[in-house]
Amino acid sequence: MIISLNWIKEFVDLSGIEVDELTKRFGLSTAEIESVTHVGGDLKNIVVAEILSVENHPQSNHLHVLKVDDGSGTPVQVVCSAPNVRVGLKTFFCRVGGQVKDMKIKPVKMVGVDSNGMCCGGNELGIEADTSGIVELDQNAKVGTPIEEMLPVEDVLIEIDNKSLTNRPDLWGHYGIAREFAAIFNRPLKPLELDDLSAYEKLKKLNIKVETKNCFRYSGIAVENILKKVASPLIKLRLNYCGMRDINLLADLTNYIMLELGQPMHAFDHAKVGGITVIENTKPLEMETLEHTTHTIEPNSVVICDEKREPIAIAGIKGGLKDSIGEDTNSLLLESACFDSMAIRKTSRKIGLITDASLRYEKSLDPELTKTALARLLYLLKQIDSGVRVSSSFTDVYNFKYPTHTIKTDADFISRRGGVELSAKQIADILTRLGFTVKVSGQKLEVIVPSWRGTKDVSIKEDLVEEVFRMYGYDNIKSSTMSMPLTPVDKIPTHELEYEIKLALASKFGLNEVHSYVWNYADFNKSLGIEDKPVVHLMDASKSGQSGLRVTLTPTLLKFADENKNKFAEINIFEIGRTFDELDKDNLVIEKKKLSIVLASADSEKALYFKLKEIAEYVGTLAGCELSFDSNSSNKILHPINSCAITSGNLILGSMGILHPTLAKKIDKRKHFAALELDVNKLLDAPKQSKKIVPTSKFQAVSLDFNFVAAAGTKYATLENAIKNFRCNYLLEYGLKDVYTNDGDLKDKISYTINVTITPKDKTLTATDIEKFSAYFIKTIEKVSFELRK
Amino acid sequence: MQNKINEIKNYVVEKLSGINAQADCQALRVEILGKSGKVTELFKLLKDVPEEKGKVGQILNAGKAEIDALISNKEKALANAEIEKEINSAEKIDITLPTGAECGSLHPRTIIQREIEEVFTSMGFVVEDGNEVETEYNNFTAVNVPENHPARDMQDTFWLDNGEVLKTHTSASQNRILKKYAPPIRAIFPGRCFRNEDVDASHENTFFQLEGVIVDKDVSVGNLIYFMKEMLSKIFKKQVEVRLRPGFFPFTEPSFEMDVRCPFCDGKGCPTCKNGGWIELCPCGMIHPQVLRNGGIDPEVYSGCAFGLGLDRMTMLSFNLNDIRELNSGNLKLLKQFKIK
Repeated sequence: MIISLNWIKEFVDLSGIEVDELTKRFGLSTAEIESVTHVGGDLKNIVVAEILSVENHPQSNHLHVLKVDDGSGTPVQVVCSAPNVRVGLKTFFCRVGGQVKDMKIKPVKMVGVDSNGMCCGGNELGIEADTSGIVELDQNAKVGTPIEEMLPVEDVLIEIDNKSLTNRPDLWGHYGIAREFAAIFNRPLKPLELDDLSAYEKLKKLNIKVETKNCFRYSGIAVENILKKVASPLIKLRLNYCGMRDINLLADLTNYIMLELGQPMHAFDHAKVGGITVIENTKPLEMETLEHTTHTIEPNSVVICDEKREPIAIAGIKGGLKDSIGEDTNSLLLESACFDSMAIRKTSRKIGLITDASLRYEKSLDPELTKTALARLLYLLKQIDSGVRVSSSFTDVYNFKYPTHTIKTDADFISRRGGVELSAKQIADILTRLGFTVKVSGQKLEVIVPSWRGTKDVSIKEDLVEEVFRMYGYDNIKSSTMSMPLTPVDKIPTHELEYEIKLALASKFGLNEVHSYVWNYADFNKSLGIEDKPVVHLMDASKSGQSGLRVTLTPTLLKFADENKNKFAEINIFEIGRTFDELDKDNLVIEKKKLSIVLASADSEKALYFKLKEIAEYVGTLAGCELSFDSNSSNKILHPINSCAITSGNLILGSMGILHPTLAKKIDKRKHFAALELDVNKLLDAPKQSKKIVPTSKFQAVSLDFNFVAAAGTKYATLENAIKNFRCNYLLEYGLKDVYTNDGDLKDKISYTINVTITPKDKTLTATDIEKFSAYFIKTIEKVSFELRK
Repeated sequence: MQNKINEIKNYVVEKLSGINAQADCQALRVEILGKSGKVTELFKLLKDVPEEKGKVGQILNAGKAEIDALISNKEKALANAEIEKEINSAEKIDITLPTGAECGSLHPRTIIQREIEEVFTSMGFVVEDGNEVETEYNNFTAVNVPENHPARDMQDTFWLDNGEVLKTHTSASQNRILKKYAPPIRAIFPGRCFRNEDVDASHENTFFQLEGVIVDKDVSVGNLIYFMKEMLSKIFKKQVEVRLRPGFFPFTEPSFEMDVRCPFCDGKGCPTCKNGGWIELCPCGMIHPQVLRNGGIDPEVYSGCAFGLGLDRMTMLSFNLNDIRELNSGNLKLLKQFKIK
C-alpha cells in the first residue's frame, strides 16, 4: 500500500521531523516499509498558462501551433499534439529550461516550426490518469502560478508491505496510518471533517434489507442533483500518487474515502436502484462487472441485490455494470457496508477476483467505520459540488456489533513481560495516544479497546504488552539473561545418532551427504521400473509436480546418481531422511527415519558390496549393536542373489546389496552400483552388544590353524556361527585366513582356513590340552556340515 | 706378555684395515675376543705366570680393552657407513604428490544446523526432533492458528489424503514439546518444513527451520533479545547487534521480526543486506497464552518466548549461496565442496 506523506500531514503535524526518522520509527513501531520515494522534484518550471490562439501546423495533420500566455508577459509559441487544445483553455505549461519527469524542455523545431515549451498532459505529470490530452484546469486558475502552488506535487510516497498489515485492519487507510504517526511522535491527531448526518434524520429512510449474518452492517444514504463530473485536482493527484486511477467524480470520491479511511464504498445510480437487499445466494448467479467481465457467483456468497433481488454487486469485491453510475447519473445511493472477512475472502478466492475492497474486507474492518465514511464522503462531495442535496436519512442496518473489549491488567504484568520497569502512568499515556481509553488506579489498569482495534487484533493483556512496547521502542529494551535452575540436558538418542552417522560416513568413508525432497518421483521410478505405490498422496500436487510421499529413500538417491553420472566417475552419496510407508490404526502416517547410501563406480561389484558392509558394520557399532548380513532381502531394486537383509537379533533393520542389473544398466552402463537402506530408529531398538572387558591372561597363548571344507555355496556365516556358539575354558579369538573354492581336490567344495588363538586363564597349556581342545573344536564344527581337510 | 698382547693388537689393526663388512668385523671379534679367541687364550696362560700375577693381569686387561675399542670403533664406523649408504641410495619421495584419499562432505545445512545446535546446547537447551507429517491440530490449532486462517488453505499448505499435513513450520512441534517437558523449558527443534509454493531462486517448497522455545516464570522480551544476540554472535563469530520490529504470527503475542546488523559489512551496506545495513533473519515473539494453555502450561504463572530461524537462509548467508534450490538439488559439484575437516 502506498501512503502519501502530504496526505498524512493533513491529519497530524509532523513538522521538524526528518523523513528518514519518520520512516525509521514507523518501521520499528508499526509495519515494514518497502520503499520511500520522493516524487514531484522532477517537475520544474511548470506554470498555469492560457491558450491564446490555435492554428493548424502547416505540415502536420495532428499538430497545432499555439500561442500561450504563461504569465511572463510575452506570448510563447509552442507546438502541441493534444486534441483538446482550444482558445481560452488553461493548462499546465512547462517553460523552456524546465523539466517534466525525465524530459528536459528545450527550444526545438517540430516538423519545421519553433516550439518553446510544452503543454503538459495529466499523465505526463503523474497527477491524472488521462492520456488523451493536456490538463484542463479550472478557469479560476491564475496564469503564471507555479504548479507546486496549485498542487502538492512534491511528496514522499511510502510503500508499506501489505503482509505486515495483515492483522491491522485500521491501517488500510491514511487516517489510520496518521494515527500511528501521531502516537509514535506524540503529536495530536486532527479529527476528520465530516458532514453532519443528523441533519437528515427527518428525511425518509432508504429501503435496505439484510438477509445474511455475513453482512455485519449496511449503511446507506441517497444524494441527488449532482452536477459536477470531475473530482478536484488534489483528489486526482492523490489517487494517482497512491497507485489508483482517477475515473469520474463519484468513483474517485469512493476510492478516495477507501484510501483515506480504509472503508470501501460503492455508489449506485439511484435512478436505477431504488433499494437494497443483501442476500446469501443459494443458486449460482451471473453478474457482469464494471470491467465488462461476467462472473459466476457461487452459492453461499454475499450478494448485493436491488429491490427486485437482481444482483447489482458482489459484496465487498466488485460492483456490477448494470446499475453503476454513468455520465448522466445525478442521483446516488451510497453504500458503506461491513461484511464478514472470511465470507469475502472465500468468494474472492472462488471467483479469482482480488480487489482493493476485498483485500481490506478480508482484514476484518471495523463496522463503526461505515457511518464515518458516509459522513466524510458527503463532506467532500459538498466541497466540490455545493449544489448536491441529500435525499434520504442515514439508513443503517447494524446486524453484528463486535463486543467492546475491556482488558484488566497492571503495570507489573506489562513490565515483566517486556523486561522494562514502566509505571501505570507511562503505560496509560502510550495507550491513550493509540486511542485506547485507560482508567488507572494505583498499579491497576482498566483498558477499553477502541472499535478499530477490537475486531480481531487486541483483546487480551498480552496484546497490550505489544502496544506498549512497540511505542516505547523495542530498541530501548535491554538484552538480559535469565536465571534458571541447573539441570542436566537430555540428548535425544536418534538425533545424536543421526549426526554421528553422518559425520562418520563423511569423515571415515568419504561419502557425500545430500538432501532431497520427500516426493516419490513417479516418472523417474517408472522409467527405471521401480515399483512405486505411495501410501499417502498430496491433495494438491500442482506445485510440487509429484503426487505422493516416498515409501523408500533409495530411489531418490538413485535419481541424484543419475543426475551426476556424467560429471563423476565415482559417486558415493548418502542421506538420512524420512519415508512414509505406513499408516497407523488412526490413519496417521508412521514416519521412518532412514539412512540410504548409494555407491557407484567402476570398482567391482564385490568391492562395492563389501564397502557397504564395512560401512554398515561401523554404523552398527555407532549404535552399539552387531549387525548380521546372513538373511535374504526381498528388496526388489537390489540384485536377486547379491543382496541381503541387515538384521540384528530378531529385528530386520534394512537391506543392502548390488543394485538390480536392470536398474543399474538404465542409469549408467559404465558403473557398478550398490545401495543400502537402513531404519535409523530401529538401530536404536536393536539389542545392544555387551561391552564386557575381558582381563588379559599372563599365560602363553597358542595359535592353531584349521582348514574346514564343505559343499560349495556353504556360507562362511554357517561356520562362524558355530564358532561363536563354541564354548570352552580358554579365551578364544578367531579369524578367517583363506578361502578356496574348486581348487584341486576341492571340486564343488569350499574351504575356509580359520586361525584360532586360545589363551588359558590359569595355567600353561600342555600338548595334551591342545590336542583335547582341537579334537573337541573339530567335532563341534563338523556338526554343521563341515569337515576338517586332512 | 706385553709383547704377545702387542702382537695381537698389531694383527687386529692390520686385519681391521682390510675389513669392509660388519660380518667380517664380527668374525674378527670372535677370533680375538671369543671363547677361544687369541686374547682369551692369553688369559688362560695367566694361571701359569709365577709372579706378579696382578701386574700381568693388568697388562692383559688393558690390552683387551684397547683391542675391544679398536674393533668396536670399526664396527660403529661400518654401521654408520651402511646407514649413510642406505640414505644416499634412497629414492627421493615427492611428498607433494596427491594422496588420492577423498574426503567426504556433510550437507551445508547439516554443518550450520550442528553449529547452531552446539551454541544452544552449551546454554542448556535440549535438541528435539520433530515429525515431517503432522496432524492439523499440531500444525495449526495447537499453535493458535484460527480455523479460517488462509495458511490452512490448500494453496498454501500440502494437505495429504489422510487428513494430515506436511508441516508448514517447526512450530508444529511446540505442543508436543511443551507437554513433554515441564517448565523451565529450554528446547530447540530443527526440522524440514513444507509450503505449497512455486519454487524459484529464493522460494522453496521444502526448507529447514530451527525453532526454539524458552518457558519459565517471567520470561521477557529482554531475555529473547539476549538469546538471539548471543546465538548470532557465536554463529557469525563476532559481537552482533539485533533489533526487533513488529511482526504478526498467531502463535506469539507480541510478535516480532528480528533483524541482525549485517555481519558482512557491519551495517555499512553491501549486496547481502541489499544496502540496508540490516538482515531480516528470524521471526520470534512471546508465546501466545493460548499456545501455552494448549501445551498444559498456565500462562498466568509462566511466560515464554519462541523463535524460528530459517536454517536455509542461515546456510545461504554463511556460505554465500544465492539459489535456495541448490540445497535440495543433489548437485555434487556444489556439495562436495563442503568437505569434512
